[in-house]
Amino acid sequence: MARTKGYSDPKLELKLRDRYYYRTDSNPDFSKKVKDKSRTVSHMCFQCGTCTGSCPSAPRSSYRIRLFMRRNVLGLEEEALTDPDLWLCTTCYSCTDRCPRDIAPTDVIMAMRNYAYQRGIVPVNFLKTVQAIYQSGHGVPNNDVNRAARVRLGLAKDPPTTHSYPEYLPGIRQILDHWKVKEQADKIVAESEKKGG
Amino acid sequence: MANDYALFLGCIAPNRYPGCESAGISCSKKVGINLHPLKGASCCPAPGAFGSIDLNVFYAMAARNIVLAEKMGMDIALECNGCYKSIWEVNHKLKHNDDLRDMVNEVLKTVKDPSDPSGKSNMEFKGTIDVWHLIELYYDPKICGVEKIRDSVTRPLTGTRIGVHYGCHLLKPKKERHFGDTENPMWIEELVGALGAEPVQYRKKMQCCGAGGGVRGYDIVHALDIANEKLINLHEAKVDAVTEVCPFCQLQFDRGQIEIQEKFGKFWGLPVLHYNELLGLAQGMSPTDLALDLHAVPVDPFLKKIL
Repeated sequence: MARTKGYSDPKLELKLRDRYYYRTDSNPDFSKKVKDKSRTVSHMCFQCGTCTGSCPSAPRSSYRIRLFMRRNVLGLEEEALTDPDLWLCTTCYSCTDRCPRDIAPTDVIMAMRNYAYQRGIVPVNFLKTVQAIYQSGHGVPNNDVNRAARVRLGLAKDPPTTHSYPEYLPGIRQILDHWKVKEQADKIVAESEKKGG
Repeated sequence: MANDYALFLGCIAPNRYPGCESAGISCSKKVGINLHPLKGASCCPAPGAFGSIDLNVFYAMAARNIVLAEKMGMDIALECNGCYKSIWEVNHKLKHNDDLRDMVNEVLKTVKDPSDPSGKSNMEFKGTIDVWHLIELYYDPKICGVEKIRDSVTRPLTGTRIGVHYGCHLLKPKKERHFGDTENPMWIEELVGALGAEPVQYRKKMQCCGAGGGVRGYDIVHALDIANEKLINLHEAKVDAVTEVCPFCQLQFDRGQIEIQEKFGKFWGLPVLHYNELLGLAQGMSPTDLALDLHAVPVDPFLKKIL
């Protein structure tokens, strides 16, 4: 959407017409917010595509890390945060290793996911890990088959973690509650279950 | 005390593949590394899940685990790349960024330390320890070194071909880590060679297993397809087993092969062994001592070659 310059001569108006790229949904604050959280400078990106070329998710999906880098520079918050492809990054850091501009695209994705989460856009599997850790201190808690195997190996049936020392759990819950992540997780999981998700 | 470390277990090793834990403890003892339990540790927390939803919580949760070891006065050793990403990286970030450290300590200061009966002492990140992956301790000649590993072998894995999967979060991003080359590193191959096995190069060795970043939970077939690509390349190189240093990669390759069979109708039957399990076998531990029966893909074809 170009701006009109309002020159009186229509020929000059046409010749010198505004060719800058404008989007009404561009939010410069978003670029800044992502920069602060990711601690990397995505405006240095010159769109070479080395990141997408290194990405294990790209050959099997429409996920393009280069596109997210551009969205970040242009401040296209809606487009970036509502794209389900945002969650296909395996955080393997191949793009970060190979970026010729020394940017960390992986960290840009992580920062964007943080902001998506704040708006309630987040796949439930991420939240279920939060709920599991709130409950037991472990993202993957122990089970009976494993307890039996541990005893056979001469290990204690539960590892010497929060499983054996539950007195450490209140401290963990205190940290999670400080940022209200359990509350947010419960809310979003309940909503998604109501929708039958 | 030089070679004493607090062992940070994480979740998948103790709760799914306990053989990794017991082998880690007994094998490292044989090469002069003593591991002590880190009481009250939690999930690292999972870098994909927690980093994605709130980086501040990620920093604070990892810092709490680090503080437990600081109070013991010991460096942390661990055996999972995911844990390495959380614990090593947060330790490094908090040491070098005052703003992050202050933010984390603001919260930790309100958290009681249950090991103090008076209930007066609280948690605080001080930045007094370092974090190591067991595999780098094995490789480090000042701590252990390849020769010492070779000397500890009583049952060489002669005649076996083994592919190495490094995993991502141990080496990458390379500018933050200290391992050098991430395009074709060869140091874990040296450690595999020390066990008498033949380390095998294969296509796209450094590709991700596909499980990280929450993708395994979010889109399982997408994650499995990435693992399947690695399995195709490993199969092409005619390996007898694949070894890794990350129980989450192990879960993805091991249980993943069963899921790949269910969803894609392909079965590879490739044994997947953590380097600690491999080292355990080479040091004479029996498959039952390592709980290899908990592996989804039977390890027997590999065991037949060495027992």
